[in-house]
Amino acid sequence: MTAPYSPSRLSIIVPVGARRADLKTLYAEYKSGVEAIGLPYEFVFVLDGPRGDAARALDELLQAGEPLTVINLTRCFGEAAALMAGFERSSGDAILTLPAYHQIEGSELHKLVAGLATADVTVGYRWPRAGNAIEKARRAIFHGLVNFVTGSRLRDLGCGARALRRQVFAELDLYGDQHRFIAILAARLGFRVAEVAVRQSPHDRRSRVYRPREYLHHFLDLISIFFLVRFTKKPLRFFGMIGAVTFGIGALLITYLGIERIAFQSSLADRPALLLAALLIVLGMQIFALGLLGELIIFTHARNVKDYRVEEVIHYPESDEASSSENAADARSRPKDVPHSPSSAVA
Amino acid sequence: MASAIVTTECGDVDATAASHGHEDRPTLSVIVPLYNEQESVRPLYAAIVQAVGELGRSFEMVFVDDGSTDDTVAIVTEIARFDSRLRLVKFRRNYGQTPAMAAGIEHARGEVLVTMDGDLQNDPADIGLLLAKIEEGYDIVVGWRYNRQDKLVSRKIPSRIANWLIGKVTGVPIRDNGCSLKAFRADLIKQIPLYSEMHRFIPAMASIAGPRIAEIKVRHHPRRYGQSKYGLSRIYKVLLDLMVIKTVATFASRPLRWFAVLSLPLFLVSCAAFAHSIVALINGRDMSMPIAGSGIVFLASAMVLLCSGALAELTYARGDIRDHEFSKLTQTIRVARGGARRIP
Repeated sequence: MTAPYSPSRLSIIVPVGARRADLKTLYAEYKSGVEAIGLPYEFVFVLDGPRGDAARALDELLQAGEPLTVINLTRCFGEAAALMAGFERSSGDAILTLPAYHQIEGSELHKLVAGLATADVTVGYRWPRAGNAIEKARRAIFHGLVNFVTGSRLRDLGCGARALRRQVFAELDLYGDQHRFIAILAARLGFRVAEVAVRQSPHDRRSRVYRPREYLHHFLDLISIFFLVRFTKKPLRFFGMIGAVTFGIGALLITYLGIERIAFQSSLADRPALLLAALLIVLGMQIFALGLLGELIIFTHARNVKDYRVEEVIHYPESDEASSSENAADARSRPKDVPHSPSSAVA
Repeated sequence: MASAIVTTECGDVDATAASHGHEDRPTLSVIVPLYNEQESVRPLYAAIVQAVGELGRSFEMVFVDDGSTDDTVAIVTEIARFDSRLRLVKFRRNYGQTPAMAAGIEHARGEVLVTMDGDLQNDPADIGLLLAKIEEGYDIVVGWRYNRQDKLVSRKIPSRIANWLIGKVTGVPIRDNGCSLKAFRADLIKQIPLYSEMHRFIPAMASIAGPRIAEIKVRHHPRRYGQSKYGLSRIYKVLLDLMVIKTVATFASRPLRWFAVLSLPLFLVSCAAFAHSIVALINGRDMSMPIAGSGIVFLASAMVLLCSGALAELTYARGDIRDHEFSKLTQTIRVARGGARRIP
């Protein structure tokens, strides 16, 4: 059904945050990699907050006549916001997001774009990957947990190099730290996601020392993706289970205490277990109530929230020779926000 | 040469907007969710066309492909090329039966919508009976597979228990909620929010609008091709979904009251605990730490629950679904013979 897809124009979005390399050398590397693809391209740099040195470097590049768009955000809005801002200014039908530091080799970019022929999203994963045993274990555990929660099979969530068809980006509504989960979110919207092995940049191969902060980030990522996947659709089922179990344990405990009090005359008053039971019962009810609240939010918005994504509606209207060309024109003139349509008329 | 209108949807493009352009609204829409039904599709199509054709009404078919991995889409597309009454709504991936039903309902244009399974277990010949019942003035007509052709232990007994539970809790006593063969008045069902796994409960969900529901016996055939795709899910899911329906259907418009009812026992327990402590104090005994503590815990929790109720009230007030809207879907208005007097 879907016609073979090949992008006609690339937009490269580079969000520039706290972690950044010298943008001039980075730009030169990316540019040579992108030019090798042989498609018209544009670069959009988004400065996430005032980044003095980066702004100066970009200014110099602009003055040198490089085909750049530079967007300055007045404060640090986060990478997801920067990506969205860049996307709104971009015009290509394929979007390439790249990190503002050396993570993959520029000469590998064509692989990501080539992957779009059969997938809607391609994400890079650095291979062969440098790092010692501890780092490898850390990555394996983190990705194992994420894949367990989401049911995906991803190997490098930290890689900022991705290629997306424009339609995918248009449907993603990123906020907060969700840029790291673009692959997972896109897959949840029903898009095909492929991982593409790319060579790691030599700058990235140097082993970094991971501070506790980074582990905390991993942990928070995991929690947020967990809630996103498990909670946003069926809050009562998720909270209801936890609440019911908590409540059940509390109720059992209090029944036990009650029986002891009545049957064996053991005093209830001096037992801290009573306090624990009360706490569990109360906690269970509140967790359950939270689930109800979530369900109410979903119910009151159910008309705007669609659980499904329709790829296309296939319908051949009754037509004779005269009206067929009219219909073809009609098909083309349907309002579409996307410049390219992944499906073509079946003739 | 026929040319296709292929509508590509992205994001929140209103799918119904495109179909509103057509003035010729068919009487009947037959909605069939399909998931890997390549063998069944052709006989199903033939059976529908034959059975519904005999009724002499204008009709259309809306097939919803729930992300099939076999040739279902290709076969349906081929049929659609020769029959303009067929439209195929193709999902990007497998979403499940409720979304498929919801999409079918959304894309259907008929005045009466009939949903049925794609596995040939329902008999399209029964559509006429459903339609007749709707035209009698019922809003929803549900099929009852009185001679169900499924395994007893794994399907029939759990389903009987589930139906009994659903009837008790929702107050809509339907013998066979699991039967997909149902008919709806389009104006009503299009306004009912369907999400999660509510396909089993569409009549219960619709009961927030107070519809006139009828149940009629329908035929049920043993499965001819493939194997059943949508099994009975675990009982706790059914229970929790039921609870959701119950809550939503009865308390959605008065969340604060519902939360207040929930917090009432907590208040009572905390009062009892405090009374115990005060009596101990008056009698000069030592106050019991666990009992006084429990009292405090229960009181605090009751307060938090009340606050949650306020939050729920806010959510409802800011949301875009109102209970009284549903009354308009089923109301009948009778006016005195001279017509209502208009106040100038």
